[in-house]
Amino acid sequence: MNLKSIIPMKDISLKDLFTFNKSFSNVTMAILTIGLVAFFLAGTIMYLIDGHHAYNITREHPWGLIIAMYVFFVVSSTGLCIMSSIGHVFGIKEFEIIGKRAIIGAIITISTGFIVIALEIGHPVTMIIYNILTPNFLSAIWWMGTLYGAYLVFIIFEFIFLVRENHKWSKFFGLGGLLVGLAAHSNLGAVFGFLIARPIANGVFFPIYFILSAMITGSYLLFLMYGFRYKMDFPEEVKAMLTKLAKILGLLLAILMFFEIWRMLTAVYGGMPGRADAAWHILGSSNFLIGEVLLGMVIPFVVILVSKGKNIKGMVWASILGMIGIFFMRYDLVHDTQLMPLQLLKLREYQLPPTFIEYFPSFAEIGVSIGGIGVCFVMYYLADKFFELDHNKKDI
Amino acid sequence: MARYAMVLDYKNCINCKACETACKEENGILLGADNHRIWVGTKEIEGEFPFLNIASNNFLPSQCQQCANAPCQEVCPTNATYYDENSVVRVDPEKCILCSYCMTACPYDARYVDDRTKTVDKCNFCADTRIARGETTTACQNTCPTKVRIFGDLDDPNSEISEVLRTRDHFTLKSHLGTDPRLFYLT
Repeated sequence: MNLKSIIPMKDISLKDLFTFNKSFSNVTMAILTIGLVAFFLAGTIMYLIDGHHAYNITREHPWGLIIAMYVFFVVSSTGLCIMSSIGHVFGIKEFEIIGKRAIIGAIITISTGFIVIALEIGHPVTMIIYNILTPNFLSAIWWMGTLYGAYLVFIIFEFIFLVRENHKWSKFFGLGGLLVGLAAHSNLGAVFGFLIARPIANGVFFPIYFILSAMITGSYLLFLMYGFRYKMDFPEEVKAMLTKLAKILGLLLAILMFFEIWRMLTAVYGGMPGRADAAWHILGSSNFLIGEVLLGMVIPFVVILVSKGKNIKGMVWASILGMIGIFFMRYDLVHDTQLMPLQLLKLREYQLPPTFIEYFPSFAEIGVSIGGIGVCFVMYYLADKFFELDHNKKDI
Repeated sequence: MARYAMVLDYKNCINCKACETACKEENGILLGADNHRIWVGTKEIEGEFPFLNIASNNFLPSQCQQCANAPCQEVCPTNATYYDENSVVRVDPEKCILCSYCMTACPYDARYVDDRTKTVDKCNFCADTRIARGETTTACQNTCPTKVRIFGDLDDPNSEISEVLRTRDHFTLKSHLGTDPRLFYLT
């Protein structure tokens, strides 16, 4: 029994593997990918030599850029899984064509997330062993990790059945992957939401917001994947799907803005110590105003609003900005949670009284996390070579 | 079997930092500002010269609060943080995966990464040094020149700590979070 009897693959030679159409966009992507992968390898080597000392994480700010990037990757994965389920789980006709491309994207992004987090967790092998031997069912990280493991298994099976054109089983695993993915992802929100020590993060907001922002991330990624696949020259059925997707994305962005407005109003109202001051700090930061609000929400929303969702090329470009915005949402989520110092006294002579905790990632952290995007690109390139990711014309 | 706790008569503290030194010596804590299980915090003097509020300039010795409802224990995915038979919150370096969730969850900033084991470490009332040798004192308490600290068993009604808690008013830190600390400060 060989692999091809399990999952149909294209016959390609080694030469085919490194051959691609030398168009401007392809060559640009190739150079970008090589650069990012080199960056990733440099960061990884620095981590393997110096351990956590290669990172700028401290006692007061134990979670850094890599945790943010892990969240970024798994948000992308869950988002792609949710958006693809609109088609092949819930049976909305226009979205049935995205199944394979979205699910392989989900598999790739969560795998990259696991690679990145393995370079942040101090003892990943111990984690696998004691996650099973001595589980703590009260820990949101335990549930998140375990459910994401199950989620990966589900979506791999879903992909296999999608490629085999077995729609009965792909729907079954699609539904399973969707439900487990939703549970896993809201648990990731709970990792932050459960922190009683951090009033800015504590509460119901994050578990719910994570699902919403995952759907938005998934939509941006679909625009980017299809924009790149068809080089902005879309067939009719893809155009119809992306126009619908733009309308859904517009609604999701409106809900997100509504959520954010009320989150911030509740955070500053009453001036609760540890929450209001952190919220004012966030509201005055360029990460939030330019990154999250302008790039992540407003620009894509305006593009959709002005064209009533019909400006698909514009949306592909806006999705690049959108993804940069999503990155800032994840980074701020991690950083802002740890913004307030928990030690409010001076511990040493000549030390200034503690104020907002400052953090900027080290070269190794940036290499591992931003370089991780290159790992994603390589996996996507290979998947596109080995599998038929385009929709079947008879399915339209 | 005991239920160990500590009382701190913090107004007696003279900020000599003998406790910090004794802790490092007893438990082999590595040098470095971030590597500390216990600390003495200094409050800023309030007011402007010449109307300085000298009453505000006091010292607050502290460490892991040994919460009876510890957030660090709840969040630990592998149960590496656990309550031992003496109700002391401890970390098992074998099981710790260094995900740092406990460091984010602890409201008292009591945890740090120990470079000896590359795992998270914190005060454990000298459980694997003095208590393990059969002693019933901690290094910080034993060395304190002004007798700020009283260490003992809450389950023993005749212990000094039980007596002090019965007779003197006391408070705990961030008690509104429901962590139920076992470090008591005398007023």
